[in-house]
Amino acid sequence: MIYLLCVLLLLIGLYGVLVKKNLIKIIIGLSIMEYALFLFFAVIGYREGGTAPIITKGFEKAVFVDPLPQALVLTAIVIGLAVTALLVSLAVRIYEKHGTFDIRKIRRLKG
Amino acid sequence: MNLIVLFVAIPLGAAFLMPLLGRVARKIPDILANLANFSLLVLALLATKQGLVVYKIGGWEAVGGIPIGIYLVLDGLAVLMLLIVNVIGFLATFYSVAYMERYTDKPRYYTLFLLMIAGMNGVILSGDMFNIFVFMEIAAIASYALVAFGTEAEELEAAFKYQVLGTVASCFILFGIAIAYSLTGTLNMADMSRVIAQQGIGTPVFFVGTLFLVGFGLKAAIMPFHAWLPDAHPSAPAPISAMLSGVLIKAIGVYALCRVLFNVLGLGKVSSFLYILLVLGTLSMIAGSLLALGQRDFKRLLAYSSISQIGYIILAFGLGTPLGFLGGLFHLLNHATFKSLLFLNSGAVVYSTGNRDLKKMGGLSQRMPVTGTTSMIASMSISGIPPLSGFWSKLIIIIAAIQAQQFIFALLAVVVSIITLAYYLKVQKLAFFGKLGEAWQEIKEVPAVMCISMIILAVLCVGLGILLIPGIKAVILDPAVEVLYNGARYAQLILGS
Amino acid sequence: MNLLHYLIIIPFIVGLFCLVIPKKLSKLRDLLAIGGGLATFYFTIVIFLRKPVEWFYNDLLLLKVDNLSGFILLAIGLFGVLIVLYSLKFMAGKERLSEYYTYLLWTIGGACGAILANNLILLLVFWGFLGLTLYLLIGIGGPEATPAAKKTFIIVGGSDCLMILGIAIIWSLTGSLQMDNISIHLTGLLPTVAFLALAIASFAKAGAMPMHTWIPDCAEKAPIPVTAFLPASLDKLLGIYLLGRIAMDIFVMNKAMGTLLLIVGAVTIIAAVMMALVQHDLKKLLSYHAVSQVGYMVLGIGTGNPIGIAGGIFHMLNHAIYKSCLFLTGGAVEHRTQTTNLNRLGGLAKLMPITFITCLIAALSISGVPPFNGFVSKWMIYQGVIQLGKDGDKLWIIWLVAAMFGSALTLASFMKLIHSVFLGSPSPTTPRPVAKRNEVSFTMWMPMAILAGLCVIFGVFAYRVPLKNFIFSAVPGISFLGFWSPGLATLLIIIGIILGAIIYWLGNIKSLRTDTTYVGGEIIPQDNRVTGVDFYDTIKDLGPLKVIYKKSEKKLFDIYDQGARVIFLFTKGLKKIHTGLLPTYLIWVLMGTVILFFILVKG
Repeated sequence: MIYLLCVLLLLIGLYGVLVKKNLIKIIIGLSIMEYALFLFFAVIGYREGGTAPIITKGFEKAVFVDPLPQALVLTAIVIGLAVTALLVSLAVRIYEKHGTFDIRKIRRLKG
Repeated sequence: MNLIVLFVAIPLGAAFLMPLLGRVARKIPDILANLANFSLLVLALLATKQGLVVYKIGGWEAVGGIPIGIYLVLDGLAVLMLLIVNVIGFLATFYSVAYMERYTDKPRYYTLFLLMIAGMNGVILSGDMFNIFVFMEIAAIASYALVAFGTEAEELEAAFKYQVLGTVASCFILFGIAIAYSLTGTLNMADMSRVIAQQGIGTPVFFVGTLFLVGFGLKAAIMPFHAWLPDAHPSAPAPISAMLSGVLIKAIGVYALCRVLFNVLGLGKVSSFLYILLVLGTLSMIAGSLLALGQRDFKRLLAYSSISQIGYIILAFGLGTPLGFLGGLFHLLNHATFKSLLFLNSGAVVYSTGNRDLKKMGGLSQRMPVTGTTSMIASMSISGIPPLSGFWSKLIIIIAAIQAQQFIFALLAVVVSIITLAYYLKVQKLAFFGKLGEAWQEIKEVPAVMCISMIILAVLCVGLGILLIPGIKAVILDPAVEVLYNGARYAQLILGS
Repeated sequence: MNLLHYLIIIPFIVGLFCLVIPKKLSKLRDLLAIGGGLATFYFTIVIFLRKPVEWFYNDLLLLKVDNLSGFILLAIGLFGVLIVLYSLKFMAGKERLSEYYTYLLWTIGGACGAILANNLILLLVFWGFLGLTLYLLIGIGGPEATPAAKKTFIIVGGSDCLMILGIAIIWSLTGSLQMDNISIHLTGLLPTVAFLALAIASFAKAGAMPMHTWIPDCAEKAPIPVTAFLPASLDKLLGIYLLGRIAMDIFVMNKAMGTLLLIVGAVTIIAAVMMALVQHDLKKLLSYHAVSQVGYMVLGIGTGNPIGIAGGIFHMLNHAIYKSCLFLTGGAVEHRTQTTNLNRLGGLAKLMPITFITCLIAALSISGVPPFNGFVSKWMIYQGVIQLGKDGDKLWIIWLVAAMFGSALTLASFMKLIHSVFLGSPSPTTPRPVAKRNEVSFTMWMPMAILAGLCVIFGVFAYRVPLKNFIFSAVPGISFLGFWSPGLATLLIIIGIILGAIIYWLGNIKSLRTDTTYVGGEIIPQDNRVTGVDFYDTIKDLGPLKVIYKKSEKKLFDIYDQGARVIFLFTKGLKKIHTGLLPTYLIWVLMGTVILFFILVKG
């Protein structure tokens, strides 16, 4: 069920990328897609009734959630940040040159 | 400290130093970048003698046969790819010394360039799925920024489209990694391969395979995921175009795709996947060549031609035979040389004339003999004229297709090679032969550093055919073919059990 | 080092030297070039006398000389020397000479390699390389030659690509790439495709229809020695050599493929000669004949019987001789008058006697007039066709008529050529005899004279010299069946000439043209001269022919232009869907993904 919600979020992001005409909205759509995936990744590592994977006294035999996905998602979030930052800066520059945020009007390269 | 760590460490370190030292003196960025890339080139040459190397970062040994640390793996395929990346990388840096005088900010340019190299080397050497993703993103983000480096309207537009599609591709890949992890409980590629082999290839593996196919296919610009490439590659500065078309789409696209499909997921013997590769390769091959034929812009033509040539490579891999892999890998190597050379040629033309429109050129080889001659060699090589290198790889691919009983695909490959010849002769006719235009009476040949890069690449285009001589083939190409063809042995080799 | 290596290595090394010698030392470069040519020629003679010579590498027979290739090598060597000699004067003072000699020598080396190769891949390498040198050599003709060079290379290089396909199929069928131990029966689709692929490659090289269209363009723009060397002689030798090889050695011919060759041959003969009739340019006229004559060779090989094949191969040799002679005389004319436009030439016979005589001999040879060499080989081809009829081919009469009719039309068009260039009244642009010498210099007329001499020798002593030494050993099993009676052939030719005349008169009856008669004394205005150019223009207006000529002027029969038109349709469509809209591209990605999932995961 929770996986389906992730997919739903992904589809919402995809919708934004596909349908929205504004560069910034496209970027937001992309970010939503990315976060849906991060969520998905983190959820994969979840174990029923698990706790944080820190070994402390008295919890040696407890059920831990898988720590690996969490580490990976942290890395991926950083990468996602870089991507978003670059995209936004590109969008700003595009607005300076093209004078618009409308993706339909930014089509000098074709054919 | 093992030698192969340096492949990532040197460019990362140099990229870090560049902004710090770059402003100290004018010459420092050039020297630093060239030094870094030259040492990488030497390392890559040394790596050919290494044999299989598995390096465990931090010395984390496997626990109970299950690898826990980060692995760097140098096998036959990685050696070949490292050679390609670092040879072209060095020549492009060398070329940049003169070419990038046109732009204002050399230190940042070199920083991004070195990051890109670090990313590609990392993808090639990485032994676990997640690091492939991380290094791929490093290379990709650097390339997005480099495409926009000129910050003109077209360049920004191209970079934006490139990045949106590139990010979508990354999402697919990350999704694939997540599912693969949930299936196997490991990220180490060798371990994953072993677990999948034990579990058997079922629908989930197919699902993951398709995700990777789309993701890496987008990075490799395979039809129908190619649309960003003809915008992005021509917009970058010429040496970067050479890197993108010559190396990047292969390192983070084709290489990663093959590695994951054939070595990790073990789909190398699954006919439906191979057939899809055949079909997609053929589609790219045909569409790319047809579109290239209709271009007036020199660099855009070359970009479409890249799509077409990548199609050849994918087609060859899709045959799934040793000969097919040999042809594909050899073509990958050749394409790196001649396509980089052609982009450097286009850069030389832009440098001298400030113009990319073929219809406005003409007779340039009278004034630019080195550019003219080297572009001639590259064009003939890519069109598959004997005895240049491109001929041999094309020959092997077509023979392999016939051997695999894929006659229609062989025929299409032949037809496309005729079209390829046609559009490269068009380039030669419009740009380098014919009457010298009025406007270009005063132009000069480009500076010597640029010429040297082009000449070295031209010599490679002429001489790479020697890699097929049995003794040399056994050193460079055969180990790489072995890796792809016996994809299932990968786990065994790495884990040593 | 094997003797055979010299043939390939010498021209390549000497060619490289020519390329790097500084421009100031042009005399040395010329000497080197001619020396390289002579050395190669010398070795071809040595090898011819010592044949068979073979070279093994790792037990693989890579290079060899046998009876078929021996004399072709000899011819290549000879032509190489003659062309270099001729170029010394003809090309003097032109640009990019170093490159010119280099490419010329490389061509010689590549051609020797292609003929020597016993391994199909090796053959392919040399074969393709020759396409490249041809392209570069045409490019020497300057900016105007570039489109012709491009077209030539697309056709020739493109057919080389097909050759790869053919060779790959041969390899997959037999597991061998050695020409001497392959023998494939033409049954089933694959062998047929392989045969066709190789045949098309040979057609493109030799210039048989429908791959011929590069020859007229190339002849018009390329320097004349290049035309005389490559399309006129060398490419014929190579193309027909390959056709002979595949028809005799690699494949076992069947009836359908034989008939196909016959059709190609017959169509090529007639169509090309019809085009030649109406040309107004010396070079173009000659080039259409270079196409037309290929028809005879293909026809000869298509008969599939020894006499026909021998005739075809002998005709290839003869054609190389007289056609390069003709082009060289054309070059001499161009050298003296700076034009090859038939309208502007005339009355050169007195001024350039040697050129005139050699041209006349070659023209009579190509028209198949006894006792010159063209007659002998054509006659052998006729015999082959007759033999074919005896063996039960019902269509033999069509092939025979086509061949003879073509011969008559050839004669007719050369009457026009001789008249407009050498006879008739001088045009205002023809050089006046100001100096004593209007003949071209020694190094130029020498090659022409040698070739003309060969025309005579090969004709008069046909049996004793060329046939005995070159041809019969190459094609085993020839018997003349008592047909060796020139009388019959002469009769047939006369019939042919009458046929041609009927066509001519048919046109004339409809529209009689009048020309101002020559009165004497005064200089005749340009437009009143009888130039001979329009001799056959009336056939242009003959009913259905009119339509065909019109269409061919629009390049409707040009495989290159038609191919380009179709390809560009696709290109335009594809360009249109690349709209530059990011959402569109994203939709492609999603569609692709969905389709891939559907195929791979569902199915």
